[in-house]
Order: sequence, then C-alpha cells, then structure tokens
Amino acid sequence: MTTAPATPNWAQLAMSPDEYAREHTRFRRRALKPVLGFVGPFLFLWTLFLAIPMGWATWLSFNEGGLVSDAKFVGLKNWTTFLDNDELRTAIKNTSLYVVVAIVVVFGLALMLASLLNNNKKGQNFFKVALYFPLLVPPIMAGMIFFFLTHYDMGVINLLLQTAGQERVNFLGANPNALMTIAGLEVWRGLGFWVLFYLAGLQSVPTDLIDAGKIDGARNTRRFLRISLPTLRPLMLFALVIALIFNFQLFDSVQALTKGGPTLGTTSIVWFIYKQLFTFQESGVAYATSLALLLLVVTLTIFAYGFLGRRKDGLE
Amino acid sequence: MTVLADGDGQDLLALERRSSSLRSVKSAASYAVLVLFTIISVGPALYIISPAFRNSKSLFSYPPQWLPNEFYLGNFQFLLTETNYVRWAMNTLIFATGVTLIALVIDTLAGYAFARMQFPLKKTLFGLILATLMVPTAAVLAPTYLLVRFLDDVTFGLVGIDTYPGLILPMTVSPLGVFMMRQFIETLPPGLYEAARIDGASEWRIFTRIVLPLMKPAIVVLGIFVFMLQWANLLWPLVATTKDETRVLTVGISTLQGQFVTNWGVIAAATLITLLPITIVFLFFQKWFVQASVAGALKQ
Repeated sequence: MTTAPATPNWAQLAMSPDEYAREHTRFRRRALKPVLGFVGPFLFLWTLFLAIPMGWATWLSFNEGGLVSDAKFVGLKNWTTFLDNDELRTAIKNTSLYVVVAIVVVFGLALMLASLLNNNKKGQNFFKVALYFPLLVPPIMAGMIFFFLTHYDMGVINLLLQTAGQERVNFLGANPNALMTIAGLEVWRGLGFWVLFYLAGLQSVPTDLIDAGKIDGARNTRRFLRISLPTLRPLMLFALVIALIFNFQLFDSVQALTKGGPTLGTTSIVWFIYKQLFTFQESGVAYATSLALLLLVVTLTIFAYGFLGRRKDGLE
Repeated sequence: MTVLADGDGQDLLALERRSSSLRSVKSAASYAVLVLFTIISVGPALYIISPAFRNSKSLFSYPPQWLPNEFYLGNFQFLLTETNYVRWAMNTLIFATGVTLIALVIDTLAGYAFARMQFPLKKTLFGLILATLMVPTAAVLAPTYLLVRFLDDVTFGLVGIDTYPGLILPMTVSPLGVFMMRQFIETLPPGLYEAARIDGASEWRIFTRIVLPLMKPAIVVLGIFVFMLQWANLLWPLVATTKDETRVLTVGISTLQGQFVTNWGVIAAATLITLLPITIVFLFFQKWFVQASVAGALKQ
C-alpha cells in the first residue's frame, strides 16, 4: 500500500487517459482470471465433446463414408435422397407411432395414479417407492426381464395363456405386436417417473385455489378437471416436450428385444442411425438423419423452456 | 368437515354418513388400483429370481414352474467363470463413477460462475449451453466416435477407443447439470457471500468455504441423477468399446444373447445380480433417488 500525499490535488487527474485505459484492461483481465478457473473446465469439455461434434455432424451430413474409408463430399445428395430411403421412412413411421402410444398411455396412467396418490395420503411413500423401482432397471435389462414375460415359448404370459387353454400371443415375432411390446416396456419403466413428476406438480397447485373450489362446492373430479389440470397445463406442455425428446431416442429396448425386426417392424430412428453407421457403413443418409434429430431436439428444447418460462411468469 | 345447509339435522347426518361410506368405497378402489400397479411395477423383476435358479431347459416346461424345484447354481457359476461378468461390472463402476465425479466438479464450478460471477458474453454463452441441454448421444454419435479415434492418435492412446478416458470424458458434458447447479446457487441468499466479498475473500475461498458446504443436497441429487443415467447407458459404450474386457455391463449382458441359442438362465442370473446392489442402495437412499429423478426436469 502506498501512502497518500497529505493534501491531494483533486483537480488533477491521477492518471492520463492512456494510463487509465491500460489499468482498466489490466483490472478486467485480473477479474476474468478466476472466472476462467470456474467456467474453463466445463467450457473446454463442452466445446470439445459437444460443440465440435455438433459442428462436425453438420459437415458430415454433406459427406459419405468416413468411418472406415475416407469421407467423401457429396454436397446435398444425402438430403435429396433423405426420404427416398425406405428403411428410414419405416423408422420414422415406427418411431412416431411408438412415441404417440407410449406418451398417451404413460401420461394417462401417470396422471391417474398421481391424483390417486394425492388424494390418498396413507402409504403414499410405499407406492412412490414401488412405482419408482423400474426406473432403476437399465432399459437393456428391462428388455431381458420382458423376455421372460413375453417370449413365445418361455414367456410367463404365454405359459399362463396356454395353461388356461388359450392361444399363445406372438408378442415379439409379429407386427405390430413387437412395437407395442416395446412401448409397453417403456411405459413400465417410465411410469414411476411421470407419477412422481405429476404428483409434485399436483402438490404445487396453490391450496387456496383448491380451498376456494371446496367452498364453492366443487367435487373431487371437478376440482381436478377445473382447477388442478389448468394450473398444471404449462407443466404438462413442458413434460410433453421432454417426453418427446426422450422417446424419439428409442434404441435400448429395440437392441434388447427385437434388433429392429421382424421385417423392420421395430426399426427406430436411432436404431437406423446406429445400424447404418456401425454395421453397413453407408453413413451418408445416417449422417443426415443424425443432424435432423439434432435440430429437432434443439428446437424442442428451446420450446420446452419457453413453456416453463411462461409458467414462472404466471406464478410470480 | 362440516357442511352448511338449511335442511334439518336428520337429513344432514344421513348425507354425511352416506358420503363417508361412499368415500371409503372410493378410497378402497383407489388402493386396489395402486396395489395393482405396484404388482405390475415390481412383479416382473421379482419373477426373474425364479429362472435365475433354474436350469434353462426347465424354463420351457409347461405348465409354468413358478418356484425352482432344485436350487440350481449353474447359471451363476457359468456367469462368473465362463464370461467376463466381473470385469464388466468393474468397468461399469469405473465408467459411471468417473463420469459422475468429473461432471460434479465441472458442473458445480461452472454453475457458480454462471450464478454469481460477472463476465463478458455470459448471457450468450449460457443461452448456447442451454440450447444443447438435451442433445442425444445418437445425434452426435458418429462425430464423437471419430473425435475419440482422432484423440487416440493425438494423445498416443491415452484418450481413445477401448480406454477409460475415451469412454468417460465424452459423457461428462451435461449442460443440465450446470443448469441445475446454477439454479440452486441462485436460491442461496446473496448476503451470505457479499459480506465475505467485502472482507476481501477470493472467489475460490467464497466458493469452497461458504457455497460448497451449502450445496450438499444439490450435489447428492445431481450425483445420483448422473450415475443412474450412465450406469444404464448402452449406446456410447457399445460404440466406444470393441473388446470383451473393455465392455460395460449393459453391453456385456446384451452379448449374452446368443445368435442361435441363448442360455436364458444365465441372462436371468446376470440381470438379478446386477439389479440387486442398486436396489439395496436405492432402498436405503430412496428419498434422494426420488428427488433426483424429478429434479432433472422440475427443480427450476
């Protein structure tokens, strides 16, 4: 520390403009140093393993090959032949059907169970834990577990049907059964998550709103439909987008249960990408598909947080 | 609860009684539904115990056998001696723990910076990171694979295909973690560290002494969230490993499905001993698990 002169001359500038500018940048640089220490590690890994691959993916979508042989620039060919690919068209159709079925079923069941849990507090924790359990099971192992239920010869369901004198059901070897079995698996695994999600949502509905409804004589169902659901709407839109993003990535259970078959019946978009890239190496269309998936997810993400932002504004 | 009405007391009582019996019927029905879904949730995984202790041939017998006739341990023996199961389990542990630890460190640090520090382009940068919040591995699978193969050459095999760093590092980047940490730090009262800042404490000191101890719950929640995501991860390990010794459990178990003949008993045994430890951990820390799953989407 320097000692100040006894009577400073306040009229005179302590620094010339040049000096001032130099000090200013020096100060800012010094203030920036700890920032780099904090953001640096994440930013480095984010750039290396997310930003660069995203840019690379864009570039690759104009190329062919590259995984085994050298990449070859083909211009817009991948994009112009994008929808000519029958397998891809089937994959998009399958994934869309699967997404609709899985989301409708899981949201319907989850809303029902969440409101049941919200109205019946006794044992709530036990049911929460039990419903959550399937989420612990990695999808690939959930697939193995589902084999023991749905296998044509040794699946418990079929053995039971046979014992009851009924026809066995070909859950995995026929269409559209196979896709529906996979949707069933994802519903089984995801149900607990969405129940907890909606339960948290229902519990966040302001109690004075509910009380006002009670005083006005609205019954349970009516209160649910007219008060809870509308309050939950922004949250549900958010949930819908999240569920879309997750479900469009269907892969693990296909790998476990059907390997895309029978006859492409369960080929999903990600399964198509993986198969094209790492088995056939005809990567051109797969590159374009990857980029399309990427753009879809980024757009949906921006939408999702838009909904959530609106919800916050509404509450505050 | 009392109901206000101007009918006579007799009627009111009857109404009360009827509605309370209606309520108990309704709650009985509710519990029946809840129990049904409990069975659906837990039943399939419990059933796996039976085939795990049975000879695979008996699986196809009919009428179905619920309980094993004999206590057959051959499946476990096969799993432990004829496959690399132990190695896969170790790889999974190293992979998921590695990703979790690195993610926790970088996410907490970056979350603090985005919540409490000022720097140029902060908003733009955060917006960019948010846009990549949910980029699926599948969408960047090829470039990430090519990148790791490229790093293999540049780092002389330190980061590459079939190495732990090559497996772990690409999965550590989760913008969601930074987002969660930033949101959490923003809820802490700013008075806490403004005093320390006026006293001349460095950012690092404020972070380690004041903020970090308060972040324990957020760190546990994020830790469980990341670990659960990675230990179930199939797609990236499938691409990033080529040898049987470098495989993780999810990939390893899926290779047990033979191309022509599958030893189902062994698969049941593998599924069982893989799920057992995580279930035990879950039962001890269920509150945290439940929080972690909802946190990812809800804790704004």
